[in-house]
Order: sequence, then structure tokens, then C-alpha cells
Amino acid sequence: MPFREINSKMVEATVLPGQRLFSQRGAMLAYKGEVSFTPNTQGGQGGIMSMLGRRVAGEATPLMSVEGSGTVLFGHGGHHIQVINLTGDTLYVEADRLLAFEGTLQQGTMFMGSQGGVMGMVRGQVTGQGLFTTTLQGHGSVAVMAHGGVFEIPITPQRPVHVDPQAYVAHHGDVRNKLSTALGWRDMVGRGSGEAFQLELSGNGAVYVQASEEKL
Amino acid sequence: MFRLQGSKVLAVDMTGDAVKAKNGSMVAYDGQMAFKKMSGGGEGLRGMVTRRLTGEQMTVMEVKGQGTCWFADRASEINLVSLQGEKLYVESSNLLATDGGLRTGTTFTGLRGATQGNGLFTTTVEGHGQAAITSDGPAVVLRVSQQYPLIVDPGAYVAHQGNLRQSFQSGVTFRTLMGEGGGEAFQIRFEGDGLVYVQPSERNTIAGDV
Repeated sequence: MPFREINSKMVEATVLPGQRLFSQRGAMLAYKGEVSFTPNTQGGQGGIMSMLGRRVAGEATPLMSVEGSGTVLFGHGGHHIQVINLTGDTLYVEADRLLAFEGTLQQGTMFMGSQGGVMGMVRGQVTGQGLFTTTLQGHGSVAVMAHGGVFEIPITPQRPVHVDPQAYVAHHGDVRNKLSTALGWRDMVGRGSGEAFQLELSGNGAVYVQASEEKL
Repeated sequence: MFRLQGSKVLAVDMTGDAVKAKNGSMVAYDGQMAFKKMSGGGEGLRGMVTRRLTGEQMTVMEVKGQGTCWFADRASEINLVSLQGEKLYVESSNLLATDGGLRTGTTFTGLRGATQGNGLFTTTVEGHGQAAITSDGPAVVLRVSQQYPLIVDPGAYVAHQGNLRQSFQSGVTFRTLMGEGGGEAFQIRFEGDGLVYVQPSERNTIAGDV
């Protein structure tokens, strides 16, 4: 496990020869040893085609690859950092929330419409996530940023979870999500409870929720 | 049943009962929940009139259902207060959630309110049950007794409970008028018996500038 949490807002990553890390550009705070940072114009893994895919999808955050041997400290904007370990399953996260991840993970882009069709696209617009989201798959760990602390809620088939779209950070596992609306006549006359839209997550996995309704 | 998950998230386990919470503060829930908007400042027609007059119109929603509901507000720290019949005075912006059985109302605070930058009125919570208040940074609870009055910066004051008299004191001198003030021109003085919640951060107040 290459990421070690120093405190709630800083992680220390161990870089070994032959093991590459990707991180958001400019997120390095300090390093020890022989470490090189190269800007990654492709914005991640895969060939030219996946780079084009990310550009089109607007999920191309500037990344850099970190190589060498030593330790690196990462942190960004005073945001809280949560380290998530993946063991073969897929993590769905917004590209701008990604702080750093291991090179062993497969990076991809997912079209919102592929989950829930038109409603999935509406969901992306309502939650401000856009039409695409980033996926990471494989074995390894990821450092994700959030405003305020993050807590994890397990999802089981008997126990679907509803999340405020603004407080949603990421989810992993075999989870279907859809936008559920609780729009009533009260919302129409301006007396809504402020909870008109919710993300409904069902299946097997976990969702990460931040203690704030502010975007990064 | 209120419990804290970390210091910034409030988890409420519900079995068909109702909870009042700040509008839009829900971050997640499981089970079945219904959200309905209410208005703060007291119930009924009288409450409506006081809300209009005082401007202390906290928008509250009533959450009712079965399951667990999580609340949070802009990553601020949450403090749980249990009330056994006494009255809690709190700024409406600092009140996150209350048990359904607690009554909320509005009272006049006098000159103190104006220096806090919160207006002339404050919210009261009364009854038996739990309330969750937010603060910018972890709040400290300071005890006030007969022999030891407490003086608090208006910008750092969050809430108080118990049998307390509050008065307003100013340290305005000739130097303050010349623009040489220490930034602590106004304070609130608490006397009597009770608890005062103070946050390690100061809101922008008129008093902070002079």
C-alpha cells in the first residue's frame, strides 16, 4: 500500500523503481529521494484514443506521472483526503476529485447515459458531474479529495442508499445508480425542503459521502 | 436518536418519528424518508407574524421515516446538546437539527444581536430531547457560575443554556474613536448559572472592526 495518511489533509506516497504513480499536476508538496515528475499530456493511461476520449468527455484533468525511488507528500487546496483501496472492483469518481492513484489501476471514462439511459444523462447535468465520469479498475489504492471529512456507507441489495448529489464523492462495487426525484407541488410553489433530487444507489458496494454540500 | 459520525456528520436513527433539520442539510439516507418544508420561529399564526417581523426566519424541514439519515453543513463541526426541560438560545444559522418533540421560538436579544451581525433576534429551543448545533471549529463549553461571570466576543458566541443574564459591555475609549482600537470594542457578559458554547473562530461583526 503506497499511500500513508500523514494527517487528514496530507498523504505520503512511497515510490519504488518500476512502479509508477499518477497525480494531479501541482499536488506535490515535498519529496525525498530521487523522484522525477513528468507532465502527462495524455492525462492518464491508454493510448492516443483514450486521450482523445478524455478530451472530448471533459474529464481530462492535468496529470503528471511520478517515477523514481523515494517518498512524496501530496495535498491540494486544504481538502480532506480519503485513501480508497481497490481489490479488483471499479471506482467511479469525478476526475477533479482525483489526487493520486497507482499506475497499476486501469483508468477509463464512462458515459453517464450507459447507466440509466436518458435519466443518467439528466442525472449528470443535475449533479454538475457532466455527461462523463472517470473509472478506475484493478488492484491498488487511490487518494480522493473532498470538502470536509468523508464517510463510507455500505450498500447491500436490501439496503439501498440515497445521497444528496452535492455531497456525493465516489462509489465502488457493483452499484446501479439513478436519480430519484421527490418533486411535489410544494417545490413548484417555492416551498421545497431543499432535497428535491437524490441519487439512489442500489446493489453491492459502498458510497463515499462528504460532510459538506460544496463542490471542490 | 442522535449520534455523531466523526465530528462533522450527524447520524440520526429513526423509527417512524420526526426530526427538524436545517433546509437542505441532508447528505445521505437509507430506508424510507420524507422531507417537508416547515418554517422556524414558532408555530401557528403568531409564529408567522414573528417570523415576518424579526427576520429570524430559519428555513427548517421536517424529516420523517424509518432508517438512518445523515446530516452535515459545510463541513462545520457539530455539537450535541441534550435538553431536559431547559431552554437553549442559539443563533439560527448555528442550529442544524432538533428532535421533533422540541419547541422552537424566537426571542429578542437587544443590542447584543446587532454587534454579532445576526440581527436583533435569536432562536430558542425548549423541551426534552436532543439538539445539534454547528460551529466553525470545535466549540468549547464554558461554565458560568455566580462567582465567575464570563465575557465572550460576540463573533465567537454560538449558544447558551441555563439561567443566565446577559449584558452588553463596551470597551470603547478615546483611543477607539481615534482608530487605535484593539479590535475588541464590544463584549457580551454572562452572569448567573449555565453553559456558554464558544467557537474558535470569529464571525464578521461590527465590533471586530473597531
